[in-house]
Amino acid sequence: MKKIKLKIQGMHCASCASNVERALKKIKGVNEANVSLMTNKCFVEAEDGASVEEMKKAIDKMGYKVVGVEGA
Amino acid sequence: MDHDEESFEDREIRTWKLKLIWAWILTIPIAIVMLSDRIFGMSLIPESYMAIVLLVVSFPVVFIIGFSTIKSGLKGFTSFYFNMDSLIMLGTVIAYLTGIIAFSGLIAIQDYSGISAMIMAFFITGKYVETKARGRATREIKKLLELGAKKARVLRKVGKSGKEEEVEIDVSEVKLGDIFIVKPGEKIPTDGIVVKGESSVDESMITGESIPNDKIKGANVIGATINQDGILYVKATKVGSDTFLSHIIQLIEEAQSTKVPIQKMADKITSIFVPAILVVSVLTFLGWFFISKDLSKSIGVGVAVLVIACPCALGLATPTALMVGSGMGAKKGILIRKGEAIQTMKEIKIVVFDKTGTITKGKPEVREVYSKIPGKSLLDLVGSLEKQSEHPIAKSIVAYAESNGVGRFKQVKKFKTLRGRGLEGEIGRNKIVVGNSLLMKEKNISVKEFENKIDSFEEKGYTTMLISKNKRVIGLIGVADDVKEDSVSAVKKLNSGGFRTVMITGDNERTAKAIAERVGIKEVLANVLPEDKANKVKELQKRAMVAFVGDGINDAPALKQANVGIAIGTGTDIAIEAGDIVLANGSLNGVVSAIRLSRATFSKIKQNLFWAFAYNVVALPLAIAGVVHPVIAEIAMALSSITVVTNANLLRRKKI
Repeated sequence: MKKIKLKIQGMHCASCASNVERALKKIKGVNEANVSLMTNKCFVEAEDGASVEEMKKAIDKMGYKVVGVEGA
Repeated sequence: MDHDEESFEDREIRTWKLKLIWAWILTIPIAIVMLSDRIFGMSLIPESYMAIVLLVVSFPVVFIIGFSTIKSGLKGFTSFYFNMDSLIMLGTVIAYLTGIIAFSGLIAIQDYSGISAMIMAFFITGKYVETKARGRATREIKKLLELGAKKARVLRKVGKSGKEEEVEIDVSEVKLGDIFIVKPGEKIPTDGIVVKGESSVDESMITGESIPNDKIKGANVIGATINQDGILYVKATKVGSDTFLSHIIQLIEEAQSTKVPIQKMADKITSIFVPAILVVSVLTFLGWFFISKDLSKSIGVGVAVLVIACPCALGLATPTALMVGSGMGAKKGILIRKGEAIQTMKEIKIVVFDKTGTITKGKPEVREVYSKIPGKSLLDLVGSLEKQSEHPIAKSIVAYAESNGVGRFKQVKKFKTLRGRGLEGEIGRNKIVVGNSLLMKEKNISVKEFENKIDSFEEKGYTTMLISKNKRVIGLIGVADDVKEDSVSAVKKLNSGGFRTVMITGDNERTAKAIAERVGIKEVLANVLPEDKANKVKELQKRAMVAFVGDGINDAPALKQANVGIAIGTGTDIAIEAGDIVLANGSLNGVVSAIRLSRATFSKIKQNLFWAFAYNVVALPLAIAGVVHPVIAEIAMALSSITVVTNANLLRRKKI
């Protein structure tokens, strides 16, 4: 189990936030994803094996950009 | 949170501002031309050129200035993760296309291309204002980020002589164990312990406590607080992300990612909102076309539906209010860890306080000694035994013995701690037991002779320790822990606010009642062993929702069990993990403020959600009914999210 903070650029509405949460939760090993629109960060709780690259890719696909990763 | 991130948010505001200026430079002429034509019937541009001029001028507004919106909206369609931009994109592109169709002369249709620019311009304006207001919501937190000192003056060995000299370095370079010097008026660079000098330190920015604290050798100091009048030599005990300030910042940030339950409904709606609006818009268009056979009007209504819908207001309602609320709290040393606590707080009926360290200062002192044998011999025996224990009461007795001339303590054999009751051991050939009257009963030691004395000690609120030597009581020690100055006023406020206040303690009934009476608490749960506190909370929960206030170190299970756990600490001694709300300042007034803050924040959240729902519920049918012009629809949409964010900022007017 690990906790990761993703700093995401380009989310500017509530739908964006819920999109990011949904997309991340679909990734294998991701248990929880919570976006804070106020800090532009997404807090992810995932199994140790979950791939951060995959998360980045999923976010990228929707048109947002991961500009920072903490705690991976 | 680091510093370049801050510029990231500022950059976002700057970008929107730039877009806003350019969008309006192009859109204002369009608006003038269109309005004079529409309202005054005055054609500023010959009719035959009108269409092409509008197409040319609107193009950069929608597709160049609005590029990021169009692109992000398109991504929604390709990835099926629709967002707000998808609606704006579709609305503006359709409006623009009508211009091309009209110009081509294929179908006779109203030219909405000028409208597309106006929608985009208003959308950008709304975004700019909203982004700025969101920035304001994080004002207090930003201040916390900037609070840390930049430079530190540390003592470093210089040259071969090994002489120590002052060197100024960046705070980030300070290492554990470094000794740094803080002159009057300077910020303390990082957390540490005073090794030399004395001064008073203003800690208000961290704890909210306005009176400066005196610091002497051995005292803990917090980084980012301000040294007042003396010079302090401080050894760094925490650096970087381990400091108290960093912990606070992380905590607030993490709290932002926790959900307030009331938001759940809004979240569910936002997640299907955009696709639903797309469908509604298409149905509206088809319906209008079917009934009126007026293609132009049907397109106009369809576009209005697209741009009037606003998931933003729904999504921002909770986080903005929570952000402003946590910022206000942080300023006063109230740290909200879980969004849920804000909602639960309003249901709380019972407030349970742990006694030691919460109501009282947590620094027990010996107040009275009654001895059947010469006083010093008694202290000699008790001191020797207590020396083996780490309990605060034991420490107070040892300190008392030492200050009364007991120099060297005796050797103790067969030492044993009897949890929550006392200690026993052998000194020489004598069997010594120190503890409360329960322990004496357990050991079949008669206390009959001392009953009056015990009563009088307990009525004074002393925790009473009996000392027995070979099964005979030889004396009593009364230990008391002073009540914190502001406990009384805080409890009074809670009582008059309709809360049931309860005190929980390991002390016996009489001692506990004496203290409870002093602070105005009516209900007492005495003789509760530390491990039973959580169970007692559980019992109270059968009657009503319970908030537990404790120090977080010994009380973690009870804090977890309670509906809202409020961990209380002084300075750096806070078990941050244990509470839903953490008070950085030991005062119980923080509990009152935390309750007020939670209530104010939650009612703000409710207000915001109400407005956001009401807006969509009223605006959407109006748009579907075709009574709202697309531009007015866009203005309404922008205003609704601005209103929500601005309303959240108004929370600051509440006194907490």
